[in-house]
Amino acid sequence: MRFDLSILWPHLPFLWKGAVLSAEVCLLAIIGSVVLGALVAIARTSSAKPLRWLALAYVDLFRNVPFLVQLFFFYYGLPELGIYIDAFTTGVIALSIAGGAFASDAIRSGILAIEPGIIEAAEVSGLSRRVIFTRIVLPIALRTAIRPLGAVLVNMILTSSILSAITLNELTGSGRIVASDTFRPFEVYAVLLVFYAALTYAVSIAVNLLHVRLNRGISQDVA
Amino acid sequence: MRYSSFTPYDIVLLLQGLGVSVGLFLATSLIGLLLGTVWAVIRYYRVPGLWQLMSFLAELLKNSPVLVQLFLVFFGFPAFFRVNMTPVEAATLTLSLNTAAFVYVIAVSAVESVGRDQIEAARVFGLSRWQVLRHVIGPQASAFAVGPLVALLVNQLQVTSLISVIGVVDLTKVGNILNLRTLKPFIVWTVVGLLYYAAAKLIAMLGTRLENRLRAHSAWKGL
Amino acid sequence: MLKAENVRKVFGSTVVLDGVNLSVQPGEVVSILGSSGSGKSTLIRCINGLEKLDGGRITVDEFDVSKPRELAEARKRSGTVFQLFNLYPHMTALQNITLAPIQVLQQPKAEAERKARALLAQVGLGDRGDAYPAQLSGGQRQRVGICRALAMEPRYLLLDEVTSALDPEMTADVLGILADLARGGTTMVFVTHEIEFARQISNRIVFLDKGKLVVDLPTAAFFSAKGGMAVPRIAQFLSKMRKD
Repeated sequence: MRFDLSILWPHLPFLWKGAVLSAEVCLLAIIGSVVLGALVAIARTSSAKPLRWLALAYVDLFRNVPFLVQLFFFYYGLPELGIYIDAFTTGVIALSIAGGAFASDAIRSGILAIEPGIIEAAEVSGLSRRVIFTRIVLPIALRTAIRPLGAVLVNMILTSSILSAITLNELTGSGRIVASDTFRPFEVYAVLLVFYAALTYAVSIAVNLLHVRLNRGISQDVA
Repeated sequence: MRYSSFTPYDIVLLLQGLGVSVGLFLATSLIGLLLGTVWAVIRYYRVPGLWQLMSFLAELLKNSPVLVQLFLVFFGFPAFFRVNMTPVEAATLTLSLNTAAFVYVIAVSAVESVGRDQIEAARVFGLSRWQVLRHVIGPQASAFAVGPLVALLVNQLQVTSLISVIGVVDLTKVGNILNLRTLKPFIVWTVVGLLYYAAAKLIAMLGTRLENRLRAHSAWKGL
Repeated sequence: MLKAENVRKVFGSTVVLDGVNLSVQPGEVVSILGSSGSGKSTLIRCINGLEKLDGGRITVDEFDVSKPRELAEARKRSGTVFQLFNLYPHMTALQNITLAPIQVLQQPKAEAERKARALLAQVGLGDRGDAYPAQLSGGQRQRVGICRALAMEPRYLLLDEVTSALDPEMTADVLGILADLARGGTTMVFVTHEIEFARQISNRIVFLDKGKLVVDLPTAAFFSAKGGMAVPRIAQFLSKMRKD
């Protein structure tokens, strides 16, 4: 059989719609992950023991259970509670929760890497705990965590393909439809594979550039 | 089909699923470890043409969704190469190659972690490239790699859940079956999740033990 | 008045401060000398509330730093300049200076920035307000650090070995600014190794040794043969420091 990509031409707009849906899901979920990850990182660095324990349990649990199982838990479980949400929202929630477990690690190490002296300077100038956290600790931690958070995003793009299992026609889901319409699964999935690889490659380059840009002022070498 | 509640036989079903997951995990991990190491050795010897191909293939597999890889092998290969492929065969092939790609990347950075000067010194003493690999690089690189490899294996166990999508009756598929039959998603997915969690913890524990032993070993060698 | 009474601080089994008494009147410049490990930096850290006391009492204008409710008020009255600057790395010099005035003193942003620019101009950094700490030299960073402390209009300026991380040329810059401040009547508690400089600007010199306050004398008396120099430990310290 000949490897013929031209058969995909008519289906490109459809695949493109799937790719846009993937992008939307990932964008919302990475925001959700960072917010959740920041909250969990706070909990993990807090002085209250139950809070630390709870945060650690969340991270441990969601990192050690397959995403597909988590996804089914939410997809089939939430209606049981009377919460009826569509596959898109379920996907965003599940990805945010799973990604949050990884993001919290990145942000937590960002927090721990801040020089204590910087926090002390803020304390003695009379700033409240809230202001110290929102204006100093979090901005510095997020900047130094850009690279690991970028890895979380790359992972999320790959993981979002699993949302096709709950009937969401994102890129992989659209690919399945095109594959069964054209009877050319090899071409379809080969193109998808290369596309995902190229996309994640581009994202990691962009993240590196962002990291360099945002951390221009951070590296505090003592003169 | 009418739904019905749990029966004692469901435990057997779950354990069978777990057996399939763990069995495939063990088989593909072993193949992946061997294959990935062979790739790394090919790179070490810079076999012309071949090692660039290996690197490219590894990057492609590392940066694309496993689900798309599974679809390519399970749906694409039979259609394009006119071969027969059972779900288990497709799963074994895909997961082995995927694991191999990650093993390759870990092995390459482990080899690079051994200082150039050491290798050059050994070469000056007249050791062959193979002897250098066997006696100088090997022990140090494996001590370096074992941590990342354990993390990889914990992750690959979770990745096996995806083979349920192409019809392998693994733990996740059993979850699907029970979910449909009992309509008790919370219980089903919690139990399935906890089984995965326990298996992941077991792998991590064994890995840490191995790591400690190897570390002690290589430290002793360093004297 | 800034007052430390019978202050005691212990790290593990080491007594770092052992019954230290000190009082500083508004307008005074008091230098604290002593070898490394004598507890002089710890005393500063106790005054600004970064370390908890294990005994005794410190009050800043009658506000007790050991009482959480009064600590905030005590901190408003003192400003600290650190050895390693501790600037906020993600903020420009101007933002470093205006953050606390805006957040703590509730100054309007425009006013805080106007004052900050005036302070920067005063220390010779009028054109570097928009630079990030990493873009500044060590001496410039420390000058921003001084401006940050001064922006809170503190009644007492606490200086913790502020030139120890700087090379001689930068040290001279920073000391020049501190001399100006001393002449302008800023109250300072100055932990330092710069003995000659301490002699020039201080009203009083305090000498700490192994956590104990050995002497607390007017500057002239401290350096006189019958005063501080009569104490063997001090004579030894001074001769060693002058050799270095």
